[in-house]
Amino acid sequence: MSAIRVNPYPMPDLLAALENLQQQQSTATLEMGTGSTINKPSDNPAGAAELVQIQNATSQLDSYQQSIGSINSQLSTADSTLSAVATVLQRAISLGVQGANGTLSDTDRSAIATELSGIQSQLISLANTTYQGQFLFAGTAETQPYVADTTAPSGVSYKGNSGTNSVTIGNGYQVQVNLPGSQVFNGPGADVFQAIQDLINGLNTNSGIPNAVTEVTNAYNYVTEQRVFYGNAMNQAQSQQTFLGTENVNLSQQENTVAGADMATVASQLSNDETAINATLSAMGSMPRNSLFDYLH
Amino acid sequence: MSSLFGTMSIATGALGAEEGALDATTNNVANANTPGYSRLQPVLVENDPVTTGSVTYGMGVSLEKLQSLRDPILQLRIQEETQQQGQLQAYVTAMQQAQVQFTTSNNDIGTEISNFFSSLNQLSTDPTDLSLRQGVLAAAANMATAFNNTSDNLSQERSNLDLQVSQDVSQVNVLTGQIANLNTQISQLQGVGQDASALEDQRDVLTGKLSNLIDVSTIQSDNGLTLTTSNGTALVIGGQRFTLSTQTTASGMQDIYSQGSDITSDLTSGELAGLIEVRDQTIPNLLSNLDTLSAGLANNLNAANAQGYTLVQQANGTLQPGGNIFVAPPASGQGAAATMAVAISDPSLIAASSDDAASASNGNVATLSAVQNQAIADGQTPTDYYSSLVFGVGSDVSNASAELTSSQSILNQLQDQLGSISGVSLNEEAANMVQYQNAFDAAAQMVTAINDMLYTVINMDTLTV
Repeated sequence: MSAIRVNPYPMPDLLAALENLQQQQSTATLEMGTGSTINKPSDNPAGAAELVQIQNATSQLDSYQQSIGSINSQLSTADSTLSAVATVLQRAISLGVQGANGTLSDTDRSAIATELSGIQSQLISLANTTYQGQFLFAGTAETQPYVADTTAPSGVSYKGNSGTNSVTIGNGYQVQVNLPGSQVFNGPGADVFQAIQDLINGLNTNSGIPNAVTEVTNAYNYVTEQRVFYGNAMNQAQSQQTFLGTENVNLSQQENTVAGADMATVASQLSNDETAINATLSAMGSMPRNSLFDYLH
Repeated sequence: MSSLFGTMSIATGALGAEEGALDATTNNVANANTPGYSRLQPVLVENDPVTTGSVTYGMGVSLEKLQSLRDPILQLRIQEETQQQGQLQAYVTAMQQAQVQFTTSNNDIGTEISNFFSSLNQLSTDPTDLSLRQGVLAAAANMATAFNNTSDNLSQERSNLDLQVSQDVSQVNVLTGQIANLNTQISQLQGVGQDASALEDQRDVLTGKLSNLIDVSTIQSDNGLTLTTSNGTALVIGGQRFTLSTQTTASGMQDIYSQGSDITSDLTSGELAGLIEVRDQTIPNLLSNLDTLSAGLANNLNAANAQGYTLVQQANGTLQPGGNIFVAPPASGQGAAATMAVAISDPSLIAASSDDAASASNGNVATLSAVQNQAIADGQTPTDYYSSLVFGVGSDVSNASAELTSSQSILNQLQDQLGSISGVSLNEEAANMVQYQNAFDAAAQMVTAINDMLYTVINMDTLTV
């Protein structure tokens, strides 16, 4: 007779099994707590590497969204400034038309000319509008773009430059955020300040008023055309904002796919582990305490 | 011819044999929980018979020896697997700590790199804004700190491992000394034909402990056990121990020497091999990767900054060109991560402008931002490089952990197997005890019976019929 002899000491085996189960349970508890299946790189090396990329992409996206927020206010300030310029120019046109009326006295025309001088100052001030301390129409210069200058024919000279800035609002997607003042206010044959100055001069000398009115009208049309640039830029920013919103959702879905812990699975894993631990403990507890020695008398 | 005296000697012989067998059982029960104990089995043999005429008489039993039940081949396998496990355990434990640095968090290197480039994006919306410029400098400092901390922590861990190496070497010397002593005692006992199984058990336990620390090959020879490392460095030959020593090398780490030669890189398993692998290979590789990444970032960002212009106006009216944002990393790149630092504290020195006459230009911010998508470290972008690094660390740990788990279960199985051969079963011992006790009782009865018979014979003449 020869039976297979078994290891009389199964305790170390059971302890090892218990340790494994407790390890599993603590991993599941951690997943439950963090909501993530990747709590250290070794949990899922490829997933951990992907998380680095997703984190980077998300951070980029957030910064694009912030940039869009900043440039939106800047663009809309510029846009409403140009809208104000257009209104002022319309007023100048109607004043010019009024002044071209032959029945007016010199005093009347001089009064109109004075009002136009006020308009000129108003225009200079609008062209010097700032957004958070930065002149909107100085190109990329930091100086005040328009200053009164008696040596210039228009009485105003441009101190800015012709530079433009662009801001990145997506991967490889840049949007230009400013037009230099020289392009907006000093268009060829459509110089706002020159036109107003010519109208003032015309009214003061009672000559060439209709021509000057045409000049102001041209300037008005030109500025209105330039304003389209800001409208377009705002539209671009707006639609990119929407796109980035969708991308953000995609990224968090991706992150969830890579590392999201399925709570139902984790919960059932936890309860399975608990059952297994209890079973092992009870196996350990119910190991015979007696041996044959106890029954020998 | 049989005689009563002959029969008597058979009975007393049986008493002695059963008593010896019972002694084995007692010793087994006493050592039921002694680590490394191999159970004893009494070897009972029939004595040579005597033939008288046509009758052959049995001459009883003798206890030849108490045999210790061991399986040297299985023990050798356990020893090998213990070495494997010791190595993996050391590797996994050390790398578990190292990989924490590479877990995506609020301030790991990957996050700080992203934050830095985000701060540049913000700056591009208002390049003259000093608070945005300050934001870029702060993000640059955070990025440098992330590199410093990660690198420092890894270096610290290397030092800890180094300390553990020297502790393990002392431990190895203690164990080999004990084994050498046991070798001497065992060969003395065996020399006079005595059983040395108790000492052999002790030696097995010590060899097991030694296997956990260092790779050990055992050769059983005439003068006891010879222990060497797998490449042949002697640890114990018979009663002689060969101590290992440690010596600090140029790298600041301790190498292991045996009789004047450096055996550090020859160790292939055991805890020491695991510690040395992490200390001398894995962590230095990680550190050098971090150096490559941080030097790539610093050099390329510095170069990008030098292409633009700061807010500072020079005497000739133009803007001052940008200088280094980061302290220039060492030319070799070595130590770049540990020493990475921001070189400027004045936010106006960030060269956002691409026009030396226009301070509100943001043209050079794009050049700085572009570094994020440039191949700056071994042909990879910063984020790609870092994410490969994370993958590498993660898969190192997860592969080694998987090997460790399987090594552990193999070791458990082997120990189970050894237990089934050498382990003491109390039930079995109880059954044996009953058996030997009964046989002893019976033999004693026989002695009484024969004694009665002898009495009868001796008093034969005085008996009245």
